Amino acid sequence: MSPLIELNNISKLFVTEEIETRAVNQVNLSINKGEYVALSGPSGCGKSTLLSMMGLLDTATTGSYELAGVNVSQLNANQRAAIRNKKIGFIFQSFNLISDLSVFENIMLPLTYQKGLDKNQIQQQVNQVLAKVEMGHRKNHFPSQLSGGQQQRVAVARALVNSPDFILADEPTGNLDSKNALAVMNLLEELHQDGSTICMVTHDPQSALRARRQVEMFDGQIISDSINSLSVKAKVDSSTSQVSIA
Amino acid sequence: MSIFLDIKYAIRQLFKTPKFTAITLFVLVGGLTISLFTFSFLYSLIYKPLPLPGGESIFRLSISTNGDGRSIPAYELLEAKQGLQSIEHLEVFETTDFRISQQDVGKTLTGTYVENEIFSFTQTQPILGRGFTPEDMLSSAAPTVVLSHSTWQREYSEDSNIVGKVIRINDLPTTVIGIMPQGYHFPVNSQLWLPLPQRLKSLTADTREYIQAYGRVKPTFSKEQAELEIGQAMDAIYQQTARQFQKPEGKLAATLYTFPHAQTDGDGNLVFTFFNLIAFSILLLACINVGNLLLARAIERSKETAIRAALGAPTNRLVLQLMWEGIIITLLGSLLAVLLVSDLLDYTDALLHAEVSENLPFWWRWGMDVPTLLMAIGFTIVTIVLASFIPAWRSAKQDINSTLRDGTRGAQGKKAGKMSRILVTVQIFLISTLMLIGSISAFLSQYLLNMDTIEDYTRVIHGGIFLTDKNYKTPEQKIRFFEDFYDRLKRKHNVENAVVRGYFGTSELVLDGEDSGAQNQFPKIDTMSLIGNTEFFSAQLVEGRHLDKRDNPNAPKSVLISDSMKKRYWPNESVLNKRINIRLNDKLHSVHIVGVVKDRLNESSIFQGHSSEDEIYISGRQFERSYQRIFYRYSGDVTTAEESFYQVLFTLDRTIEPYRVEPASKNFDMMKKAMVMTSYITFGAGGFALLLALTGIYGLTSNTIAQRTHEIGIRRAVGATDKEVIQMLLKQGSKQLAIGLSLGLFVFTLISFAFHGFTDGNIPVVLYFVLAGTVTIGLLIVVLAAIYSPTRKAVAMEPNAALRYE
Repeated sequence: MSPLIELNNISKLFVTEEIETRAVNQVNLSINKGEYVALSGPSGCGKSTLLSMMGLLDTATTGSYELAGVNVSQLNANQRAAIRNKKIGFIFQSFNLISDLSVFENIMLPLTYQKGLDKNQIQQQVNQVLAKVEMGHRKNHFPSQLSGGQQQRVAVARALVNSPDFILADEPTGNLDSKNALAVMNLLEELHQDGSTICMVTHDPQSALRARRQVEMFDGQIISDSINSLSVKAKVDSSTSQVSIA
Repeated sequence: MSIFLDIKYAIRQLFKTPKFTAITLFVLVGGLTISLFTFSFLYSLIYKPLPLPGGESIFRLSISTNGDGRSIPAYELLEAKQGLQSIEHLEVFETTDFRISQQDVGKTLTGTYVENEIFSFTQTQPILGRGFTPEDMLSSAAPTVVLSHSTWQREYSEDSNIVGKVIRINDLPTTVIGIMPQGYHFPVNSQLWLPLPQRLKSLTADTREYIQAYGRVKPTFSKEQAELEIGQAMDAIYQQTARQFQKPEGKLAATLYTFPHAQTDGDGNLVFTFFNLIAFSILLLACINVGNLLLARAIERSKETAIRAALGAPTNRLVLQLMWEGIIITLLGSLLAVLLVSDLLDYTDALLHAEVSENLPFWWRWGMDVPTLLMAIGFTIVTIVLASFIPAWRSAKQDINSTLRDGTRGAQGKKAGKMSRILVTVQIFLISTLMLIGSISAFLSQYLLNMDTIEDYTRVIHGGIFLTDKNYKTPEQKIRFFEDFYDRLKRKHNVENAVVRGYFGTSELVLDGEDSGAQNQFPKIDTMSLIGNTEFFSAQLVEGRHLDKRDNPNAPKSVLISDSMKKRYWPNESVLNKRINIRLNDKLHSVHIVGVVKDRLNESSIFQGHSSEDEIYISGRQFERSYQRIFYRYSGDVTTAEESFYQVLFTLDRTIEPYRVEPASKNFDMMKKAMVMTSYITFGAGGFALLLALTGIYGLTSNTIAQRTHEIGIRRAVGATDKEVIQMLLKQGSKQLAIGLSLGLFVFTLISFAFHGFTDGNIPVVLYFVLAGTVTIGLLIVVLAAIYSPTRKAVAMEPNAALRYE
């Protein structure tokens, strides 16, 4: 079975007037369908940049990216938007809800960019995910009227509403207190058990341990890739950044 | 001390961003200059008190009969004024042209027949000689004249012995008795003053002579009380004399205007308000733009403001601190605008006085004055409030907590977006209104400038002559006078051709068998009398013959008709010798057509081309008219040619005062210059306003979109395509465009109705639709481009960058 996500020699270079920064340096990574991967490492190691490229929010400077066997490196903006809309669900650290839209409208947003869905279908799907994150009673509220934990649950619901192939979560508990963080992690756990593929960026070791697989980055490179429950250690070839699981 | 630090900080910020400072300053100086200049120019034109001691309380009397303005019946006024309680002073005057001759050379100057107290009334005494005495007013007195300083300077080289000398005025030896001080030309633009002739005061004075009156209301009475008293007193006497001497019937009513107001026929308030509103709209556009630039800067610094607030800065201090940049720029802009306006006013004054000095009322002087400076202060305060205070207030009232927590995300939420949308709508409304009004003005100017009138006014002089019923009692006498004038003028060696033209207004063409006596059902045709032929006006003969001496009072009445008239009413038949009936001044005349001439442009068909000009030319030897204009084409120099007119006139009747003997192109050239000037001003102001509006709309849209960058990032992250994002933003922009344009078109419709009435329906209605359509399409394109451009930029950013945008 071919992996759902396959990154080959992916690099990302940020060039400003004076400084050239290699945020991601020749990374190779494969994620299979149904996996729950934690991407960890210190601040500035490139994990969020890598996640953005996996989510087609950004393009790699070099390297290739295959999503479900399709090379998506050369897609244009509209093709990438279509994939984001149908195959990917995002959860951000700062929730990224639109303050002028209600909870219901925020969750509905991805569906409004899909063709062929009628009002009833949209309502049904939104209510379904609202129930899943237990936010049905707040659907007419605005983000500013919710707590951080509630906002993140809304963000999770939005990530689920389009039934994506995989969910990308960027520090989903970074802005939450421990109680709310635990609730969100439990929610992700549930999603994983339901069969969702999840890739989560985190620098919290406790959160990282909740994932089945833990990929560690440093200075734009993957330095380890391990399976948590089996305690399988990954070997990393430092010259090629190639990860192999023993 | 802390305010000083804030000012220092603001100045440093302005120097740090010179491009921003320069743009803001340019926009403000432009807006303030246009508004201030418009105010000052119109204020001097309409409201500035006469530059005379007590000038603010001097009024001009206007009399109407059943609502229609008319010449003041001098006899009734002079009789009525004896018993008036509310009036301190009341005198009549008549402004007319006078010919001053020295040997064989003469010059026409505007002068005024006045009563003897004019100079004491205006508290201005002659610098040489004396003013008038009651004795000078007697009909038996020797003719006397008081000259203006400029006439004395220009015509008599400031001859210090001028007083007592005899000069010829209208060929009559007249003694100079005084010279008035420089700049004195009361009541309007007098170059000389003569005693009011007894004939103008008489009970049977010809009411067609344009007599006017000035005076002053007693301080204990209101203007309205005085108007009522004068009106009633004059009407009581008039009703008796009107019956007795068969004067026109009607109830007299009096209105008092200031001299400047009277000069604009009482429409000064409307003109002042209308043009100032337009100019203020441009200032408003400038304020919105500057306010938006300052708001964008305030948003950029919202984190800094939030930190200051968190550290305990009170709101008013924060507001003031944010305002300093705007205050400094506005003060600097106002100062520059005042200097610029001062120069522009001086230039305008010099230009207008160089071009039309003698025709300008003496109080029309332009320059920096106290009201303009006060208004500059007013505009500065308005600008500071609109462009600095409001953005600063909004920025200082932000949600500190959310700004400190999330940067600017959410800090400029729904309210800021709503405010931007309102401002864009206001800008679109203002610019569409300005462009629509400007388009009418520009179209008219251009149309009239490029209009082919056919008539060739090269080396043509014209002058008007009015024959009073008192001196020319019968129609035959009047006809004979004009015929004689024509014959004598044509015999002059420097006169190549001449024509005497009397305008009869419209006559009704009573078609065969249709005269039922009912009014308003027959075609109304422009009708004029001619002695001479139509070829003088380039209306060549198409068939038949011209009017000539054969068409005299003893012969059957003959007419010429224009080609368009012939084609309209008798397209397939010969009209020569055809007999038609025309109703002229309520009298039916049977006339026969002796010729057809080419069409010429006339007032009623000015926007419909030559083919729609129906005209009837009647013989000036068969139809009399008291007032006629004489046109003649001359050879040699213009001064000698003008003199020929007066020589003929004074040979025939030295008591006649001709009206405006001058080159026929003078008015046309003046009108052309005025239109070119209007075009430049319209295009300049319109162009500046359009530039302001477009940059404003672009700026506001950019600002709004910049504030929504994060939202756009989220939408794109969840799958919105670039096209969908652009469509969403354009849709929102289009809504503002539609509302703004609709409001603009509504105002334009109201103005069009007013304008249509004002121009007597001479502009075809379709033109308003064409202009509205053109401006709407043009604005749609440029405004959508101004909205599209920042939208395009917003989606050029990677979604990831947009999500991290602060």
